[in-house]
Amino acid sequence: MEWASEPGEEGPKPGLNPPLRAAREGAPGRMEFKLEAHRIVSISLGKIYNSRVQRGGIKLHKNLLVSLVLRSARQVYLSDPCPGLYLAGPSGTPMALPQLPGEPAAGPAAGWGEPAPPAVPAAWQETQPHPERSAVPDAQRAVDAEPAAPGIDAGDAVLGGQAAAGPAWRLMEGPREAAAGGPGNPAGASEVFPEVARAASHHCGRPPGGEDQPGALGATPRGDCCCAKEEAPAPPPIGPRKRGAAGAGGVGGPAGCPAPSSTPLKKPRRDLEEPSSGAAAEEEEEMETGNVANLISIFGSSFSGLLRKSPGGGREEADGEENGPEAAEPGQICCDKPVLRDMNPWSTAIVAF
Amino acid sequence: MIPGIGVLTQNTLWCFSQMKGAIETGVTEADIISTVEFNHTGELLATGDKGGRVVIFQREQESKNQVHRRGEYNVYSTFQSHEPEFDYLKSLEIEEKINKIRWLPQQNAAYFLLSTNDKTVKLWKVSERDKRPEGYNLKDEEGRLRDPATITTLRVPVLRPMDLMVEATPRRVFANAHTYHINSISVNSDYETYMSADDLRINLWNFEITNQSFNIVDIKPANMEELTEVITAAEFHPHHCNTFVYSSSKGTIRLCDMRASALCDRHTKFFEEPEDPSNRSFFSEIISSISDVKFSHSGRYIMTRDYLTVKVWDLNMENRPIETYQVHDYLRSKLCSLYENDCIFDKFECVWNGSDSVIMTGSYNNFFRMFDRNTKRDVTLEASRENSKPRAILKPRKVCVGGKRRKDEISVDSLDFSKKILHTAWHPSENIIAVAATNNLYIFQDKVN
Repeated sequence: MEWASEPGEEGPKPGLNPPLRAAREGAPGRMEFKLEAHRIVSISLGKIYNSRVQRGGIKLHKNLLVSLVLRSARQVYLSDPCPGLYLAGPSGTPMALPQLPGEPAAGPAAGWGEPAPPAVPAAWQETQPHPERSAVPDAQRAVDAEPAAPGIDAGDAVLGGQAAAGPAWRLMEGPREAAAGGPGNPAGASEVFPEVARAASHHCGRPPGGEDQPGALGATPRGDCCCAKEEAPAPPPIGPRKRGAAGAGGVGGPAGCPAPSSTPLKKPRRDLEEPSSGAAAEEEEEMETGNVANLISIFGSSFSGLLRKSPGGGREEADGEENGPEAAEPGQICCDKPVLRDMNPWSTAIVAF
Repeated sequence: MIPGIGVLTQNTLWCFSQMKGAIETGVTEADIISTVEFNHTGELLATGDKGGRVVIFQREQESKNQVHRRGEYNVYSTFQSHEPEFDYLKSLEIEEKINKIRWLPQQNAAYFLLSTNDKTVKLWKVSERDKRPEGYNLKDEEGRLRDPATITTLRVPVLRPMDLMVEATPRRVFANAHTYHINSISVNSDYETYMSADDLRINLWNFEITNQSFNIVDIKPANMEELTEVITAAEFHPHHCNTFVYSSSKGTIRLCDMRASALCDRHTKFFEEPEDPSNRSFFSEIISSISDVKFSHSGRYIMTRDYLTVKVWDLNMENRPIETYQVHDYLRSKLCSLYENDCIFDKFECVWNGSDSVIMTGSYNNFFRMFDRNTKRDVTLEASRENSKPRAILKPRKVCVGGKRRKDEISVDSLDFSKKILHTAWHPSENIIAVAATNNLYIFQDKVN
């Protein structure tokens, strides 16, 4: 399965294993949930992807059910972040994750790694994709911007979407650089973030003084997501985002995964609704970029009824048996690399579809 | 309830009667049976497969010489109902798999049935021909035209007996009415209309009119991103031609009355059981999705099948079912694996017996389960070639969940999830059941004492 991260393909990331072990010692139950959730997300994405090539066309019912599972797993994964997953140490400094080469697309993907405070999802509804997104010429980029989309709340979505638009991209890279210097400069990083934290509408990754993104939701609770405190919400937003920036975010993996594969999920429905729009290449491109914008909202507003129903739905997952393989390979949490490696074929597939 | 007929008591023993289908170990995908249905008298048994074919079996007349042998079902007619199609506009292939077959009540010498694939419903007429006209004037016996100059006398053609030929002809084709995949068809009790249901819409057809249909239910949201549930099954009430029910992927059933409005988006009754919060998991939504809904013959109850249970609902009570039967609760801890191998998406059907006292549904490992609603007894039987000796009595099977496995029990981990019984049918008045196990059709009867 293309989504499952292969331990053999890359060595364990230096920064990951120690904190993971620490986390396991501290909160094994939660970790297992997350591993389970991660695995389920990977499987779900594989199913959505495969459904495109199944005979008889996309089965709406099955894809709906798979997306429900995806939602639940993603919520579990992101709703209660394990500090160990993202933290490097007691200082709360975000880990410096090795920058994986050849993955510029990782930038926007970082954004959505932040766990959303549960109250925020409602904000999704208001955020609409900006028109400028439809002008994204680079399919690769558009697809890569999608991982930012499922970033749980509107702030992420806006940022992710705007990453596609350009300016936010550079902003995203800012904190990555800061993170790269992180281990050697914990104080500096901490300084950055509290400052950013003060700007309520700022994504916590923005460099201090960064201007308000147009359309960014104001007064999002993200303000407290920056790492000024060591509490769970604070450091994880930085960490995973950097991991995402590095292209190896564990959170980035599964959450990033839905995006490209949601495109086909979205696409078939659009296909069904607009039979005439599938033909011309132009239209396909339009649909695809339109899908970027849609994807940004899809994981916020779509199936919003389900979200409200049970935000903590996946917690009581009883399956323990699947944790075996995951537990043995902590490095597998980062599946971004295989995901991003598939991005190009994804965008090609999307256009073709 | 008809006493003595179709009642599953502790004295009822099920015997193997027949098995139809190839015996070889490799299964061709096209041979996989996808639907099974008795007609209203039980004389005919129709099966549809993934290859788009329909095979009809007819029960032979019971002979006076062999009173202990009930009539056997033999092949009566085979025809290709649907072919694979390609939707050029959407670049989608349309599968020829027969999703459902429904018989019309017999009104003359011919038999009529509806068969449907994902997109198109067809009305087939199955009729017998056992005579043919002979003695034409202008044609000779081979059908060649005769030279009129050679005709000196006139004769009247007469019908002469011939070998019985059963022919199936498509009388109506109801196409282009469904954007999504058709999951159900149901003939109305007025015998003039029927409905077809896909994931988001239900259409009402008149048998005589193929170029129009009424849309009676439409749950498609204005914004598809807000989609939360789809229609999974629908059926007309057996007696009230204005009433029908449809089930959803959220585990709810809606009963609608067509007299209330033209578009039945607003239900008349809404059946939903509150979810048990202690059972919540990643897969709660999937396993609560209803895969089949059936009215009882009396019209008083509906039965629904979700992944792990069968429930009986009283039409007069909407807030919970009156009976819940666990089909294979030992799978509850295996949901993640079943999700991985796609088994969790299997759509099991359920059937009533003729007197509504027993319900039956399928499971894995070629097991199928019967539940007696009166005695609350249940039994697990297996459709297997090993039990396929004529009139061999089926031994009840048991799945062992815990530690110690008794001799005849099978452990959960040994179950073969590729052998699933999704489709079963029960004779309308007798204890004869048809069970589809992949590419084989098993017919079981109760033991005649």
